[in-house]
Amino acid sequence: MTDYEALVAKILEKAPYAEGEVRRERRIEFRISPDRIRDFLKLLKDNGFELLLQITAVDWPDRGEIELIYQVFSITHRTHTFVRTAIPRDNSVVPTVMDIYPVAETYERDAHEFFQVVFEGNPKLEMPWILEEEDKEAGLSYRKDFDMLGYVKRKYKILDRFDEDKGTYVI
Amino acid sequence: MVSQSELIREARENGMDLLPLDKDTYELFFGPQHMATENYSIILKMDGNRVVKAIANPGFLHRGFEKLAEYRPWHTNIALLLRVCVPEPDVPEVIYSMAVEEILGWEVPERAQWIRTTVLEMARVSAYLFWTMGMAFKLGVYTAGQWAAAYRERFMALFEQLTGARVYHIYTIPGGVRRDIPSDAWLRRLRDTVEYIKSKLPDFDEILFENYITHRRLEGIGVMDRKFALDEGVTGPNLRATGVPYDVRRVDPYLLYPELDFEVPVLKDGDALARVMVRRFEIEQDLYILEQLLDMGPPSGPYKVEDPRLKNLPRFKVPAGDAFAHVESTKGDFGAYVVSDGKNKPYRLQLRGPSISHGIRVIEQLLVGARIADVPVILVSLDNCPPDIDR
Repeated sequence: MTDYEALVAKILEKAPYAEGEVRRERRIEFRISPDRIRDFLKLLKDNGFELLLQITAVDWPDRGEIELIYQVFSITHRTHTFVRTAIPRDNSVVPTVMDIYPVAETYERDAHEFFQVVFEGNPKLEMPWILEEEDKEAGLSYRKDFDMLGYVKRKYKILDRFDEDKGTYVI
Repeated sequence: MVSQSELIREARENGMDLLPLDKDTYELFFGPQHMATENYSIILKMDGNRVVKAIANPGFLHRGFEKLAEYRPWHTNIALLLRVCVPEPDVPEVIYSMAVEEILGWEVPERAQWIRTTVLEMARVSAYLFWTMGMAFKLGVYTAGQWAAAYRERFMALFEQLTGARVYHIYTIPGGVRRDIPSDAWLRRLRDTVEYIKSKLPDFDEILFENYITHRRLEGIGVMDRKFALDEGVTGPNLRATGVPYDVRRVDPYLLYPELDFEVPVLKDGDALARVMVRRFEIEQDLYILEQLLDMGPPSGPYKVEDPRLKNLPRFKVPAGDAFAHVESTKGDFGAYVVSDGKNKPYRLQLRGPSISHGIRVIEQLLVGARIADVPVILVSLDNCPPDIDR
């Protein structure tokens, strides 16, 4: 049985720049600044956190930042870990971690394509992932300020059926 | 009739580049229509019969599920997310519901937990049968493939009685399940089906899993070692075939799994044969789990939480917060990360498909050096589900 408080304390002892807490049984969480993300993930990898399960990007326009959540699972400690970091929205650059967890290359491509987060050092960012070129030109992105209505209007040329007063489509 | 050489000459005159990339290699587009790739495309650079380089090319099934989910009320997302993985559609329903329940702080009634566990295990067996069908067809053992398809049909019929739909069940909802078990006759029928499929496993062994040709085709192909698999984030049977006993049902237990007795089959070789055999042993374990669940019987009580908020589903709100839930699917670790900002729609939802880790980089590396005839076999032995990658 893992003592989660002790586990978090042990990690924080080696990484004093981070903040951490136990969320519940088998879920722990750390918050760090983006420039230390590589050091911290390296530390986790060396301490029995083997699997990088995913990298999630969440857009918070009112806070002006994009939150990146590296979700690491430790088979040794049987614990799921959230490593949170926030980067500015208008300059979303963060170093890659693909030399620490090679699979990060795939997740970073995913986050790059949908959120335009740039992972410095990832050679495959510019390779097409899922979206077509024309979709990218339309500005399709998972960011919150993406104009879905405008995109639909442009793409399907149904401008004439859009009622500006009501703000909805007239069908 | 125009001969092929004339067509090639004509194409070259029109400026199309049909020449080999360099002197000895040529490019081969494998998929997305090829049966073995299942709506997934790989660009292969070939030197004669051997693969020199492979580039995975996903995206043919992309429907933007994660973005769409941000525009739909909480409950309606169930009907959307289950389309992510067709052979095993109950898994996205359950993980999404579990994550939402964690944010809400709901305890699901015991009866609902029993039903969910049963449904997940039924889905596992039927997904494995579906995979057996694919594997058998790629190896040319068509009889076993047709058997597997026919036995899967029995589970489809059971699902139809339980949920009203054969493939897309829309059955698990945040708070429990949509409706109760139809009758005791359904439970008897499930037990009959489990016993029937168990009695048929020796036939599969004889014709497919212990077949000399199967072993010769699969042995030593697409080998992964333990460190490579962990670095690449491989989960599920593919990871267990390299010697790591990682099973979400054991390492991060959920639903009724802590009370159930089952083994996690682990093999060490890490080749296609080990991956196939791990799945073979898994079917047995899943049938054993279903037997235990049936012996246990569904606990009495309600099958979903009784909460006044559930009366008005379009206005149903989830308090701000985030949660991650994952379960073991036949493809691996399937997770959902849900962020709520307190409104009646998810703020952000990310599905962690198991195939995203072993479907891109692993395939690109495992295929190098393989013969063209082994490419479909390696792909099916990895059992990747392309919609997981595209979402």
